[in-house]
Amino acid sequence: MMGDEKDLTGNWQPKRGDPVIKFVSGATIAACTALPVLLATPVPAHAQWSTVYEQTYLPASHNWEFRQRFAFADRLFNAFDYGHAILYETLLTRPQADADLLERRIFDHLTREVLINPPHVPLAEAAVMPQYAKLVPEAERMFDWAHVLHRQTYDVWADVRIPLEEKDARIAEILEYYKSRPDIAFSSRPKSMELMDGQYYSLAFRHEFPRFNGLIWGYHWLQVGLYEPLIAGQNPDERQSLAQATVARFWQLLQSPPESTPYLMPMTAAVAPLFTARYPEIAIIFDNLHMMHDVVSDILASPQVPRDRKRAEIMRAVDLFRDDSSYVTSVEEWRSMAVGMGIQNQGGAAVGFLAALPTPTVERGASMATMEHGPAASHADHQAPADASPTAGIPGAGGMEHEMRGAMETILQILEDPAVLEAIRSDPALLERWTDGEVQAHFESMREMLDGSAEPAPDVEPTAPAHQH
Amino acid sequence: MTIVRALGALPVGLMFASAVGAMPSSLGAQTDYFNTDRNRPVRIEDAHATERYALEVKLAPVRLERGDGGVYSWSIDPELAYGILPRTNLEVGLPLRFAEGDGAASGLEGAEISLFHNLNTETRTLPALAVRGDLSLPVGALGPDRVIPAVAGIVTRSFGFGRVHVNARYAFADRPESEPGDEPSAGHEDSRWLAGLAVDRPFPLNSVLLIAEVYADQPLPDGADLAWNAGGGFRYQVNPYLAVDAGLGRRLTGHPSWFITVGSALHLGVRRLIPGVR
Repeated sequence: MMGDEKDLTGNWQPKRGDPVIKFVSGATIAACTALPVLLATPVPAHAQWSTVYEQTYLPASHNWEFRQRFAFADRLFNAFDYGHAILYETLLTRPQADADLLERRIFDHLTREVLINPPHVPLAEAAVMPQYAKLVPEAERMFDWAHVLHRQTYDVWADVRIPLEEKDARIAEILEYYKSRPDIAFSSRPKSMELMDGQYYSLAFRHEFPRFNGLIWGYHWLQVGLYEPLIAGQNPDERQSLAQATVARFWQLLQSPPESTPYLMPMTAAVAPLFTARYPEIAIIFDNLHMMHDVVSDILASPQVPRDRKRAEIMRAVDLFRDDSSYVTSVEEWRSMAVGMGIQNQGGAAVGFLAALPTPTVERGASMATMEHGPAASHADHQAPADASPTAGIPGAGGMEHEMRGAMETILQILEDPAVLEAIRSDPALLERWTDGEVQAHFESMREMLDGSAEPAPDVEPTAPAHQH
Repeated sequence: MTIVRALGALPVGLMFASAVGAMPSSLGAQTDYFNTDRNRPVRIEDAHATERYALEVKLAPVRLERGDGGVYSWSIDPELAYGILPRTNLEVGLPLRFAEGDGAASGLEGAEISLFHNLNTETRTLPALAVRGDLSLPVGALGPDRVIPAVAGIVTRSFGFGRVHVNARYAFADRPESEPGDEPSAGHEDSRWLAGLAVDRPFPLNSVLLIAEVYADQPLPDGADLAWNAGGGFRYQVNPYLAVDAGLGRRLTGHPSWFITVGSALHLGVRRLIPGVR
């Protein structure tokens, strides 16, 4: 390897063109090019080492069917990813900026430009939020993996080649694949609202940025709500028209923000009752996903979380939303909470809605933890303050009159009769009312109350949340 | 003549195409435009590996080079990359070259097998780091005489404006004597060592990445001069599974030459390659 030129003392003398000199020159050039990059990286005593990694989609024949058949909605979801990313990057990198930056300038950019002309492909979010991605790459992967679950679930229901009886098996496979990455998968156990709204930093984002918060909740409303037209529609044409109506409703939610946007975080069980009844585990995952979106926003927006604690708090949330034991509530509590918060406060139904937006009955951005653990903790009292709640006027399960209970049971039995269901499906007007989210929410509420006064179902989780503070 | 020779690449191209055709049509979602690869469109790459279980098919990255005296050479470098482990991909390439002029030749330029491993995800305190091991196998008319191993280190750091990538590579190979008229080809793996830097800027709403590079490489033949190269290009995500790229560059010293590149990559998901999936 080394040249054979030696001086009088026997020491090797380098000369121009010698391989060693070339190698040293190369090393020098490499060092000169690498150094600026490495020096631009502050390395504190505790270097942040992350090995979280990306994994591809579950390959299947339904891949990209939603993109092909529902492009008008699919592209909006690309825009939603951008909205989330630019929000986090701005909160992290511009902490001193006036609220107007997010509430007006970026909000207008998103609603007047990005949503109008959304990206044609899913985004490389790290390109939009490089600083946030470096702060918590683990959280970024977690969101991305859940978005993959979202998109593949749409794909199955958008694919007309998959018969109805096969769709559930496909969804089960997708869910299994999702859960095969426990390092980045959300828990499929429902989390208490205490986790989102009961922390010292909670509510910071929605109070400081109500318009942007309303926009994010509008995103989440459509992301779960769009499952309803796909499931409720009886044929491809009907699914198309119902989905277009749901997207139109999303635009209506953005007409006069924040008044027109959801007042509370849209929960899947309320906005997408058909989907939730069919795939409760995935519905729970999506609610956990959306809760964590809000938690991250709060951590980044809250001045009570010092900048050097942002990562630690987000990583704590990452752990809590992944595990199956922290802040867990029962499936019954979770369903009850969703209905009790009032569909009208969560953006309204996703299908079969009236022309006008529903009138919210709570204060915008109210703490949902208070609703969950306040005096209204029982099933019967899980209702919004005003009488527009789905459960308004119905006595609590504990004091329910025998006659009322019997009447409700009879109604539900009739509605579960296959002949009645067939009659409903054959009548477009009836079907429209039947698929109305608010109507379904009422039925769900009735079931909750009846169940609440009966023996708990065998698969019901313990009702006492196992909090970890 | 060059075109006629280029047609000789068809069998290999068709082999890759049929390999792709034999795979399930299922396609994985990716943002491939943001993950740069060697020579697509520039020599300097980023420190990110192909996603786990994803199969990336670089069907026909074409490069046209114009050397001294207007002598042209073509090369096509089809490649398969598979995310075999977390942050790790295995690559297999079959580079073909067609050169005009006095040194006219055409054929397979060896077979390349690489293992790329990303050590870490970029964080606030550390850039993304990766290592690569390459083996160039003695296959084809223009292939090396024996196996040439090489190692490389890659660093990627993100900033507000974009990213900076630094690559350094060293090949463990004999040094053939330089023949008069020998023209080292920019971008090919016939260097003793290579070191360089690239800067990119993404336009995420348009799924476009602009990238520029400068690097130095020491050609293998003894006596060859150190060569400085500069280039630039773009990558564009056509749809979730297809990215295209194009670039141009110039070898600034030694035997100055121009080159242009055009490429595309299909991102596939293959169920049979995922353990536990039927």
